[in-house]
Amino acid sequence: MLKLLIEKELKEIIGSPKFIMMFAISSILILLTFYVGGINYKKNIAQHEAAKLENLRSMEGIKDWRLIEHNIYLPPSILASLVNGISNDIGRNVDMYGRGEIRPHGSVYNENPVYAAFRFLDLTFLFQIVLSLFSILFTYNAVNGEKESGTLRLVFSNSIPRGKYILGKILGSYAALSIPLIIPFLLGCLVLSVLGIQLKGSEWFRLALIINAGILFMGVFITLSVFISSVSRRSANSFLLLLVIWIFVILVIPRAAVLISGRFIDVPPIDELNNKKNAYNRELAETVLNKLKTFKADGNEDLFAQFEKYMEEVNDDKDEKMNSFGSKLDEERKNRQNVQSDLSLTLARISPAAQFSLASSIIAGTSLTLSQEFLSQAKNYQNVFKTFQQEKSGGSSGGGMKMIMVNEGDEPPDIDPTELPEFVYKEANLDSIIVASLGDFGLLIIYTFIFFAGAYMAFRRFDLR
Amino acid sequence: MFSILIKKELIAILQNPKFITTFAVSSFLIILSVLIGINEYKNNLAQYDTGISLAKSKIEESRSWHSINAIAYRKPDPMQIFVSGVNNDIGRFSNVSRQGEVKLQNSSYSDDPVFAIFRNIDFAFIMTIVLSLFAIMFTYNAVNGEKEDGTLRLLFSNSISRAEFIASKVVGAWLGLVVPLLIPISISFLLIISFDINFRFFDWSRVLTLAFVSITYFTFFIIFGILVSSITKSSSTSFLLLLTFWIITVFIIPRVGVIAAGQIIRIPSHAEIESQLDAFSKDSWKNYTTQLSKTWNERRLQMEGMSESEKAMYEDDNSWGWMQTDDKLRKINEENITDYSRKLFEGYKNNRIELRKLALTLSRFSPASAYQLAAMNMASTDIALKVRYEDAIQLYKEKILSHASQKAETDGDSFGLRISMDSEKGISVEGGRDQNMLDTSELPQFAEPSYTFAQIFEPTIIDISILFILSIACFGLSVYRFSKFDLR
Repeated sequence: MLKLLIEKELKEIIGSPKFIMMFAISSILILLTFYVGGINYKKNIAQHEAAKLENLRSMEGIKDWRLIEHNIYLPPSILASLVNGISNDIGRNVDMYGRGEIRPHGSVYNENPVYAAFRFLDLTFLFQIVLSLFSILFTYNAVNGEKESGTLRLVFSNSIPRGKYILGKILGSYAALSIPLIIPFLLGCLVLSVLGIQLKGSEWFRLALIINAGILFMGVFITLSVFISSVSRRSANSFLLLLVIWIFVILVIPRAAVLISGRFIDVPPIDELNNKKNAYNRELAETVLNKLKTFKADGNEDLFAQFEKYMEEVNDDKDEKMNSFGSKLDEERKNRQNVQSDLSLTLARISPAAQFSLASSIIAGTSLTLSQEFLSQAKNYQNVFKTFQQEKSGGSSGGGMKMIMVNEGDEPPDIDPTELPEFVYKEANLDSIIVASLGDFGLLIIYTFIFFAGAYMAFRRFDLR
Repeated sequence: MFSILIKKELIAILQNPKFITTFAVSSFLIILSVLIGINEYKNNLAQYDTGISLAKSKIEESRSWHSINAIAYRKPDPMQIFVSGVNNDIGRFSNVSRQGEVKLQNSSYSDDPVFAIFRNIDFAFIMTIVLSLFAIMFTYNAVNGEKEDGTLRLLFSNSISRAEFIASKVVGAWLGLVVPLLIPISISFLLIISFDINFRFFDWSRVLTLAFVSITYFTFFIIFGILVSSITKSSSTSFLLLLTFWIITVFIIPRVGVIAAGQIIRIPSHAEIESQLDAFSKDSWKNYTTQLSKTWNERRLQMEGMSESEKAMYEDDNSWGWMQTDDKLRKINEENITDYSRKLFEGYKNNRIELRKLALTLSRFSPASAYQLAAMNMASTDIALKVRYEDAIQLYKEKILSHASQKAETDGDSFGLRISMDSEKGISVEGGRDQNMLDTSELPQFAEPSYTFAQIFEPTIIDISILFILSIACFGLSVYRFSKFDLR
């Protein structure tokens, strides 16, 4: 019987003229999203490679590694082009020195505000706005609509348990709305291949997880719609109620939760930190100067080398103190930020839209941790770079002036920029991604079950006449 | 008869249970967004004040007119309460120094990415998405719904012209939906006053114009709903069509327009431009160092064979001239780099302007984009905000550097750190002038870009016109279509 009910629901949805239209729109949008994501990724890759080449070119003709201050970049990723997350909001470049504070800068939206005004087309947007709305549109009258058209009594003239009926409605709608979408999604993957974008096995798996999260999210709206449809008598009322819920769930709760609760936690503004760091740096610069003034050579032998070494030590000492001071302040701010994001995202997770958005961005590697991870890896690279500089020329760049003595006719050869250690951004491994997104997947499943249970309970009391 | 029709429409809307729900939701959202906006604005102001004190201390710590460092901050605009636009996406300040180029950096979202995840909720956002949807919900069955209910034939048993009927539908829906909206809008204005937000007459003019543009946008959706309802036979078809149109105009066209423009006009990334400048700068400094070392060698050769006292005397006689020569060489080099940088970034800026123009032209096919652009313009949180600020900061940079150069000439400049090496005395280090010795009180202050109401309104005319023309066209088309509508 359940099979029959599912079949009936499936036929009803697929046979409706609405379906053709909605399926066509969704398919076009899905293909467009993959195409836009693909070409954006290719453009970003081209820009990234060009910037890296320019970076190496800028080192040509330099004779001492201590003079090298270069740039490292957060590499583009195809999944970030399909699920933007915060990847366009955070700084993607770091000016790299052997010592001193580093900070990412140059976000996509800051560089091109025109993109910030309207944003990009991505899978999160597609599921959150378009497909959730379509889910409502097909199921808002699942139960009360049948009553209005008189088919409900007809159906229950057979011996069907009410639970089975609701289950049939939900499974039928779910199948009718999600299975056909597999075709455009597969075509979308084909678009990526046609564009010459090769995804690794783990990336295909993550993309499949994102699509699964999206379909699970649609499921929440399908069960919610069936629930509301069994609570309200008239389909017009259930549609209105669902539309209001949709507005709140998609557009209001996530934003308001973060904006309101986020401000409950006091995070010191970055300018305040800079003020403190600046004052301390000034103090240290004075100490460095006084120390340099007291320099006493040990005999006249290799005077310059002695001073150079002394200056390096003094600068290292300053750098260490500055780093420890700065790290403490940064750590405090980071901890406050973590508390802030924990609170605001926990509250935002009341909305299934936030759950889906967070899950998909975690899987795509564009969640909130991206900025912290990039900075942390850039700092690790700074140590590698500093060690490399010291090995090559006994000192490092940044954090003070350099004195390099070159005797006439004894000029050192140009450095070989290709020897520079490469910065490779390592994405989180698959296991940790899955673990991090499990909570949101779990919440989406819980919501689906709650709404299913709600629909079942409501329908038990539903007046079939 | 016309007034009766309007009254009928008005009563139908006001008595509709949908009305209470949508009115409550939109009022709640508008007031909530303004409260959030006020809170954000106050936070931004506090951050701005901290920044200003940082900029002040940065100036005070300068030891030499040559190496003066300033920071110019972008001042929060109270209109961001209603339309945040790109306010949180673009940098909040730019460093101003002889060496670095002007560039707004550290956007609010890059500093605190948690707020970037779901972005902002503001009045313009609610108008663009929520209220346009509500307008459709009230009008999708304005004409065909009456036919389905059988009231259309009843109505036309009286002597009513078809144009009169459509006009009454539009006016009735407008009065029923727009007038109640004025309540939460007025409450928002009261909130601005009660939270003591510094709103000048200029800001009130802008906010009232914004309200006017918002109502125009809302009116377009009301009329468009009536048009589709008079074209289609069944209300469910018209709703489906309207919903599709709404998704396409509100969400798809603006995005696709911008993305298409990005594909048509390819511009290098900022990182690429910076690396190009870096390469040029390093080459220039390398040439400068080679030339300097050649000059010093020549000077050393000139002193060869002199006794120590002769050398000292010769150095005393020539040191000022040498310093001037070296300084001139350095200045020439700096000017070359500045010149190259200016040309490079000018080209980059022009490319971005081209991209912006094309993106806006393409996205303006959507009334939602036209509204968003008009709203951002009125709030001065538009896409060109970054360019305006960077231009103003560039001007400030020129002023401050010219002032610093004048001061260096009149008061004499000092060095930051001087390291001398002498075969007799060894190495000696001097720290230049003591801290706080520069009188920076007369340094020019950064003046934020200022505009008159006319300057702000001018670029908005095109968007307001688009909304007006579309509304009138839809109304005309509705009248025309309804003249052929089968009343049976």
